[in-house]
Amino acid sequence: MLTSATTLVERRTVLTGDFGTHPYEAGWATEALFYVRTEGPHPTLTIQAQVSPDGVEWLDRGARLTLPSDRSLIDVELYGFGTWIRLFITGSTSEQPTTLLVHLALKG
Amino acid sequence: MHKVISFERGLSRFKPLENVVVYDDFDLGFNGWLDLTPNFVGPGFQQQSSRLDLGSWGPAQLSAAPMRFAASHGSMEGTYSLKLPTRAAAGPYEQPPIAGSMSTAIKRLSLNDPDARYVQLEAWYSYTPHQDREGLGEEDIRAFGMWFDIQDGEHRWQPGVRYVNSVNGELVKKWQYWQVSDGVTREQWTGLEHGWEQVGIDALWCGRRYGDGSADGFQWIPGGAQQLVYNESPDKLNWMYMRLTVDVVAREYVEFQSVDKVFDLRGLKATLSPKYAGITQLINPVFYIEAGADRIVNMYIDSVVYSTGATFPAKRGAV
Repeated sequence: MLTSATTLVERRTVLTGDFGTHPYEAGWATEALFYVRTEGPHPTLTIQAQVSPDGVEWLDRGARLTLPSDRSLIDVELYGFGTWIRLFITGSTSEQPTTLLVHLALKG
Repeated sequence: MHKVISFERGLSRFKPLENVVVYDDFDLGFNGWLDLTPNFVGPGFQQQSSRLDLGSWGPAQLSAAPMRFAASHGSMEGTYSLKLPTRAAAGPYEQPPIAGSMSTAIKRLSLNDPDARYVQLEAWYSYTPHQDREGLGEEDIRAFGMWFDIQDGEHRWQPGVRYVNSVNGELVKKWQYWQVSDGVTREQWTGLEHGWEQVGIDALWCGRRYGDGSADGFQWIPGGAQQLVYNESPDKLNWMYMRLTVDVVAREYVEFQSVDKVFDLRGLKATLSPKYAGITQLINPVFYIEAGADRIVNMYIDSVVYSTGATFPAKRGAV
């Protein structure tokens, strides 16, 4: 039987600029699925999955996704990611902030 | 019926009381340890009012402790430990903790042993900052520790220990125990005229803090200065042992051991608060770490034992 776990790497975090979610160690898992969920109005967001050798420097991995302002939920999947993973989210400003939750479902 | 009882070898590095309720190594998963969060019970699932965003603490992780210049550290035994990482955020020591400056992990249990007089929490752990800048980094770790959240038939109370590692960049390196100073009011405790937090509950972020490392919610352990093993780089971990024993009948401390040092805490009282609704017979062990700089700092827990017993062995360790 596989091991699975879900965590919230962001819990109602308010974004006012470019933002990287909390660096997360997921070396035990073979698949990762992020859910980005917004609360309230938000601008169009671009979402990029990233990987890292050390949790400090980040490389883009996979396609960049868009969450339009009229949608509040999107998923982002990652495979073959080594240990460190996060999302890099752009589009928010202090004039157009975003409140979001980011669930991370891991399985391995 | 003839019973044969055998114990996992890993238990031999602990000193449990008669009944081992929890023995968690983190090689196989989170074992029910999760982030400590507020109650999202308001309209729109908003949390109860508070000065602080108690949902902001860094998320617990299963860590192989991969380092920037070292290899994966693994854990003390096996591959994974439970990692408590803060966000890269800290305010002045004297202010309430800012959003993201802590990481906490809790296991939600209930008292099960009617004959238990003693409860004990033990762990092998280590701590280090994220290696995102040059230098030793030791002073960027403000504090860490462990405690029990208990509610019996009459009171809610939270006995625990806290290592004050640094205050505003200056190393302190002394142990405290959870106890509220005399005369602290509810408004001083919560910063709010009204609130749900009773004095003595949630000392981690309640009560005033002072520039010498003291705080309304904590008292210094007599003789509690101790140089722990902080190795010569943020990417070196050394695993250390700590154990807290509490008398749940007298509602007082019994003993605290850190590495090879044993502190006799008999007679020191916990702070007793009125009961909260709906949580009688609750007992939750909790671990935490707090950042002292705008930098991620991490506590790693290799393994944890929570045990109960009717008796407490007279002699538990080296002095």
